[in-house]
Amino acid sequence: MAADAPHPAFSEYAGESVPQAAPGTAGKDGRLALVFARSDGETRLVRDFARAPFHVSGSLCHTDRTATVYVQSPSGGVAQGDRREVSVTVGPEAHAHVTTGSATKVFSMAHNYAESDVSLSVAPGGHLDYVPEPLILHPDARFYQSTTVDVAPGGSAVVGELVVPGRLARGEAFEFERYYTRTRLRSEGRLLVADDTHIRPGEADPQVPGVLGSDRVFGHLYVVAPTAEEAGLSDAVHRAVADGPATAGATRLPNDAGLLVRATGETADLVRKQLRAGWTVARQQLVGAEAPDRRK
Amino acid sequence: MTDDRPALTAFQLADSFLPVGGYSSSYALEQFVQTDRVESATDLVEVLTAYLRGQVGPAELVALRAAHRATEAGDVDALVRADRRLHAVTLPAEFRESATRSGARLCDLRRQTTEGELLQAYASREPPQQYPAVLGAVTAVDGVPERQACLVHTYSFCSDMLGAAQRLLSLGHTDAQAALEELKPVVSEAVTESADLRLESMAPFAPLVEIQAAAHERADRRLFVS
Repeated sequence: MAADAPHPAFSEYAGESVPQAAPGTAGKDGRLALVFARSDGETRLVRDFARAPFHVSGSLCHTDRTATVYVQSPSGGVAQGDRREVSVTVGPEAHAHVTTGSATKVFSMAHNYAESDVSLSVAPGGHLDYVPEPLILHPDARFYQSTTVDVAPGGSAVVGELVVPGRLARGEAFEFERYYTRTRLRSEGRLLVADDTHIRPGEADPQVPGVLGSDRVFGHLYVVAPTAEEAGLSDAVHRAVADGPATAGATRLPNDAGLLVRATGETADLVRKQLRAGWTVARQQLVGAEAPDRRK
Repeated sequence: MTDDRPALTAFQLADSFLPVGGYSSSYALEQFVQTDRVESATDLVEVLTAYLRGQVGPAELVALRAAHRATEAGDVDALVRADRRLHAVTLPAEFRESATRSGARLCDLRRQTTEGELLQAYASREPPQQYPAVLGAVTAVDGVPERQACLVHTYSFCSDMLGAAQRLLSLGHTDAQAALEELKPVVSEAVTESADLRLESMAPFAPLVEIQAAAHERADRRLFVS
């Protein structure tokens, strides 16, 4: 067994060599590190290290004092053997919004796998919205993703994901091999929430009652706010997401970590719209402004 | 002489006569019925299959096994860890609350009816007392083997859910028994597969169950607490 596999299910793939560039070599070893800090009443991007295939062209400032960064990728998507590492640090009282310019495609794979590690941390009084565009899993894709979010007391974060199980418009769905996503929510290092999802459509059909039913697209929004006394926040967000063409609901997370919105739907647009309604309500309560407008 | 105590404990814990309040929880089944997603015995078996494969097997049984092993080893720290971990991966609020209510009752019951130093030490640590973790500890104390303990939990889950379904749907006793029969292979499979998962990588996945649980939290008229 190869020692570097992130999960036993991936150890067999890890031993396979990639015919083109080796896993983790130049161009396949993306690193992105963003640091936001508040100074003179403004949030500034004080560090932006990006190694291919990541590209960042500075931050944009919105009217509500939130710095926005669009992460771009010239490679077109995630290929076999790719290893990516993203870290976003938000300092005290800083407000940041990090997203991608377009959907992230995870391409078909015959060898090895692709992995993405995301670490997000927010200091007291800080707020981060990390809501990338959808992830599209092409046939035979093998993708492992790990997201760790550490939010200090008094800070908050909204972390979203939307998974599209193939190029739906051409009738392709759930032809990927394996998708594993691991989320850990912490505060001051203490584990508050652990959420792993492991989907292998070839072994267990997710389109069954209680799982996705007839829906194809699924997504979530974590609203992490460890010390906010938001008894009513979960109810308010639930009201915002519960009605609509997608199926969605909000519930309070364990250990007073905040709340979770889960959603499933027929298309990415329907699910995104409902998640966004919940995001706006949460953000209004947490930082007094609605979800940032995305001009892409 | 044969020691029948483990087998008798297993029957006792799988019996709906056990006063831990299993009859008051529907784990969102009530919402599935209210929204017409479950209307027949066939729908019911399909949805219960999703619970077993998506929630009970890949999370509850993994924690139960860890709690059982911790108790056998006399390791209170590991028992508390299994319990806290299950609590941290159980995302619908009502599921955690129901599991804590039943778990705390079982823990109290056993502390009153058997001498359990380990359970005393466990309870004094203010753990979340999730039912599967407490059940893992109680079965280990009485010598019920790990796999049987898993079968006890999964069987009780099915029988509680079918009991709830009888009250929610016009489901007869014969239909309920037939459903239980159909679920037996799913129960076995869930128990077998849970042996390969670690506490650190429990991976439940049943979004529509979680969404129904979220809606149930806010339902105006409800018969069940979850």
